Amino acid sequence: MKSATHLVDTGAVVNAAAGSRPTFLVRRHLNKLRWLCLSLVFATLVLLPMLHVYQSYVAAHAYDLLSSPERTFYDAMQWITQPFTDDPAEDLDSIKGSTWSATLFGLKLSDPLAVAGQIAATLAVYWPFVLTAAIPVAFTVILGRFFCGWICPATFLYELNTNFGLALRRLGFRLGGRRFDRRLKYLVLVVGLLLSALSGAMLMALVYPPAIIGREIYYVIAQGAFGTGMVFFVLTLLFDLLVARRGFCRYLCPGGALYSLLGRFRAVRIQRDVDQCNDCMRCNGVCEFGLDPMRDGFGQECNNCAACIAVCPTDVLRFRLRVNDQEYQGPGHFGPICRRRMRAGETAAGEQPFGENG
Amino acid sequence: MKRRTVLHDLVASAAAVLALPAVTRADGGPRVRTRYLRPPGALPEERFARQCIRCGQCGSVCPNRCIRFFGTENGVDSIDTPYIVPREQACILCMKCGEVCPSGAIQPVARTADDILARVKMGQARVDESLCLSYQGKTCGVCYRACPLPDVALSVGRLEQPKVYSACVGCGLCERSCIQLPQAIRVFPPTRAGNTA
Repeated sequence: MKSATHLVDTGAVVNAAAGSRPTFLVRRHLNKLRWLCLSLVFATLVLLPMLHVYQSYVAAHAYDLLSSPERTFYDAMQWITQPFTDDPAEDLDSIKGSTWSATLFGLKLSDPLAVAGQIAATLAVYWPFVLTAAIPVAFTVILGRFFCGWICPATFLYELNTNFGLALRRLGFRLGGRRFDRRLKYLVLVVGLLLSALSGAMLMALVYPPAIIGREIYYVIAQGAFGTGMVFFVLTLLFDLLVARRGFCRYLCPGGALYSLLGRFRAVRIQRDVDQCNDCMRCNGVCEFGLDPMRDGFGQECNNCAACIAVCPTDVLRFRLRVNDQEYQGPGHFGPICRRRMRAGETAAGEQPFGENG
Repeated sequence: MKRRTVLHDLVASAAAVLALPAVTRADGGPRVRTRYLRPPGALPEERFARQCIRCGQCGSVCPNRCIRFFGTENGVDSIDTPYIVPREQACILCMKCGEVCPSGAIQPVARTADDILARVKMGQARVDESLCLSYQGKTCGVCYRACPLPDVALSVGRLEQPKVYSACVGCGLCERSCIQLPQAIRVFPPTRAGNTA
């Protein structure tokens, strides 16, 4: 009975504390920040080809030759760029490319998968290119698979696709929710690199959604039509919708596999505070990668997207500086399992079910 | 995943590994269905397709918008690689693509006549005298006016009859400007003309 009293008392304390907790917690809003980030990256990928077309008009002194809609376009681009440059034909060259490989004010950045793919295809190391992946690799080692959650332009579309799928489910459509072995993508990575080496073709660029999206947006805006990659990308969208939620990222993406490996011992990871967790499982439901935050199951797959943090009603999930995940800490102390045990008086002597300060 | 499935996948992959080189390199050389040029400073064809990472930056930096990208028409290993069809839009040798290329597939070349002559070999122009107006007695000389390296790559003699030298870097501006159809001066990529960079 004593422990039951204890439970009620501390519960009241915690609830009081919850009532007076800060109304604004940064981490609760990280998911929105992430969406902002994804949207900005995507918008940039749309804007860059448009700027390129504008540059070519400027370079050709073509304003008088343009049709009326082209002139509207020209004026719009001029309005956007005027505050930043007097010489658009030259100055706008300072930002080029996509997330696959980009040039930012003279700094060249590339996806680590591009480097791996090129090394496999050429069987040689071209150092100037390898070095362009140094900064992304360093960030990945610290932040894990953050590219997948915070930058990847394909993620932007895949998450919208997920929401579309959820809406369809609500309307009564039965869509596939199959699960496969997560390790499949490592096989895709290894076999893909092997095939690149044997065929001498840059296969990674053809099956990697962010590279495809970067190119296809450019093709459709500046070259007038989608390329072959769009077919592949639409197939992955259908796969995600009809077979497995976020199936490509979870089970097949070679880039995701490489980032997962690089981020295996990432320093920044989400951890659960078992003291106040109530086992509501919302984190598991919202996790795009089908991980198990409620049972401390993050692993190298987690892309630090913070969706679970945003959805947590008790704010027990937070980013911590650790290089390893916690072992499963048991059911949350506010969850039904713990309460049942408590009521049955199963708590071992001296064990505080709510931690130090309740 | 069941062990049998894994084994099955592995066998299928191995078969694909063995088959793919045979498919992509069936005729032992580049399959030129359409005549095309690679951007200036590009590595020789067989190395180019391996080195290029298909980022598309060369195309997006080209002020002349002459760089296009392959679909499947030039084979699997050419998908999304840049090319130029000079009759549609020729290279103005601004050398921005080599500067922006991160992969080394297009090498950076300084925009000076010396460097361009030494390091750029997109192709070699050739005159078809049976089509050329000047060789038919109708003075033309447009190709000479279009050439960025006049008298070095291309000179004209009596009746503006063009003569192309081996210093030609293959930018294609002559082919672009030729007023004959089919064009009397055309640029052939190195592998076809028997030239190497």
